[in-house]
Amino acid sequence: MTLTQFVAKNAFRNRRRSALTMLSIGFSLLLLTLMMTVYRSFYLSKGSPESSLRLITRNRVSLVFSLPIYYRDKIKAVPGVVEVVPANWFGGLYLDQKPEHFFAQFGTDPQDFFKVYNTWKIPPDQLAAWQHDQAGAVASAALAARQGWKIGDRIVIKRNIYPVDLELTLRGLYNTDEPADSLYFNMKYVEEAVPRAKGAAGIFDIRVDSAAAVPRVASAIDAMFKNAPRQTKTESEKAFQLGFVNSLGNVKAFILGISLAVVFAILLVSANTMAMSIRERVREVAVLKTLGFTRQTILKLFVGEAVTVALMGGILGSLAAGALVSVIAHSPSMGFFFAGIRVNVPTLLVAWLVSALVGLASAFFPSYRASRMGIVEGLRHIG
Amino acid sequence: MPTAAETTIVQARNLQKSFKRDSFEVKALDDVSIDIAEGEFLALMGPSGSGKTTLLNMIAAIDRPTGGELLVMGENIFRLSDQQSAKWRNEKIGYIFQSFNLIPVLTAFENVELPLLLTKLNKQERRDHVLTALKLVGLEDRVHHLPKQLSGGQEQRVAIARAIVTDPQILLADEPTGDLDSHSAAEVLEIMTRLNQDAKKTVVMVTHDPHAAAYAHLTRHLEKGMLLPA
Ligand SMILES: Nc1ncnc2c1ncn2[C@@H]1O[C@H](COP(=O)(O)OP(=O)(O)O)[C@@H](O)[C@H]1O
Ligand SMILES: [Mg+2]
Repeated sequence: MTLTQFVAKNAFRNRRRSALTMLSIGFSLLLLTLMMTVYRSFYLSKGSPESSLRLITRNRVSLVFSLPIYYRDKIKAVPGVVEVVPANWFGGLYLDQKPEHFFAQFGTDPQDFFKVYNTWKIPPDQLAAWQHDQAGAVASAALAARQGWKIGDRIVIKRNIYPVDLELTLRGLYNTDEPADSLYFNMKYVEEAVPRAKGAAGIFDIRVDSAAAVPRVASAIDAMFKNAPRQTKTESEKAFQLGFVNSLGNVKAFILGISLAVVFAILLVSANTMAMSIRERVREVAVLKTLGFTRQTILKLFVGEAVTVALMGGILGSLAAGALVSVIAHSPSMGFFFAGIRVNVPTLLVAWLVSALVGLASAFFPSYRASRMGIVEGLRHIG
Repeated sequence: MPTAAETTIVQARNLQKSFKRDSFEVKALDDVSIDIAEGEFLALMGPSGSGKTTLLNMIAAIDRPTGGELLVMGENIFRLSDQQSAKWRNEKIGYIFQSFNLIPVLTAFENVELPLLLTKLNKQERRDHVLTALKLVGLEDRVHHLPKQLSGGQEQRVAIARAIVTDPQILLADEPTGDLDSHSAAEVLEIMTRLNQDAKKTVVMVTHDPHAAAYAHLTRHLEKGMLLPA
């Protein structure tokens, strides 16, 4: 036996209590890992390398207001811009309100769409078929698989924002590593049915020639329309998505709040367990000291014990979070918001560090007190 | 004066120990002076509360006097720092309790190994020491038993093995047979006698029981914190 093995034996001395503590810490760390992962995907990740070459221009005031379609040519003339394509959020209903039937639908220009999204792969014959059918649509292969569509299927999207139902034919499927489970159709379809929709674009998707050009192009576009009737706001695709997330409320404060509460809760759980288990061993501490154990060694034994239990709970919980996140990312109902999300190694390491620190912090005070207690009092302790 | 044949291993001069309880003071030791010779087997007797445990704890450096002096193996043990006195106890003192005080989650082997974890011995050396100690108390066939799988007498023998595994010069036993039936008590006392005679350990044993005291060379009595004349 070594001192480390002694610590391990002590940690599982009361199996049921240790298991319960591990489970509560594990559950808390599961929550914490989820929060950290969502936070990272919303606020820290830079987006895919392809998306870093893309910008989105929208109405400065709000996404609700559109931009004149003639901005497209002016934007295209800005140095650094390779391609521009308009995109209009249709917001219709497919089949019913069920979350698994929810996906984004955009009206766009089939001629130029895949020039902006040039890394998305679509067979040339399918692209041509889409371009030649004004009632045609393309979807991501993943979305089609989930909805059970195949090429040639009729897809009906019921009206919501615009007073028209879309009766589309699926003409092509594109593949991309990016989270982009959407359906695209020809914007002319809506324009012809709803005259007031003509001449307006919800947003412009832009591809630039280099990542370095992004800030310069963004300010050049916004400067160009500074005195126009409708001012623009141009930002990276990632920043645009974040703006959308933030429109849901103060997500950042919410995530941080939950995380703090979680850490505090596990601190209490772990501290309570350690205090209990140390109180039961007052006499044993005195015996160990009689055998020659120093205060420092006793302190290390107890702290090591708490860290062991907390760390095991933390590893359990964060790995469970990894599995859960993978399920969420692939689930039909949540996939739209969380597509492409996953728990990465740094997040796991932070989770483990947090649990180890919680174990340490929670055990320090009771352990310190126990280690300082007089041997005589300890030996006279009944129980 | 100690002679070559009879060296004094414990030398107490006017030891005082009082405990404050609420407003009044309890004198646990009142001016105790005693010399214990190396190789001695001394029995300490006296009624409950007479200060026997307190005196033993002084010698083990786990309690400090409020007055007087105490030399153990020539060392003024109260001058030692906390860390030094822990190391000193580990090397020089074997302590045996009335209620055994084994660690319940550890096997007999692991309980005996505990004091060795604080030494520089490697795994193989620790194993040899532990098995030797367990053999000395006749428990070589109970090595992997947990305390709850042992009888009281066997538990106390494991505790004795734990006390002697670092090969200390002094064995202090606080009513080691107090929780045992007479048969187990006799076994334990015989082991203590052998440790005194064969291994030349100095033994100080607190006991209530005149049968137990009969195993010792010498019996001293405490009463109300005072040592009665020999
Ligand atoms: N830590 C302590 N706090 C208060 N009183 C104590 C403490 N230790 C011993 N005493 C008191 O000192 C006296 C002697 O105790 P002790 O040495 O344990 O006696 P014995 O071992 O002979 O029964 C008793 O009155 C006891 O109550
Ligand atoms: Mg006593």
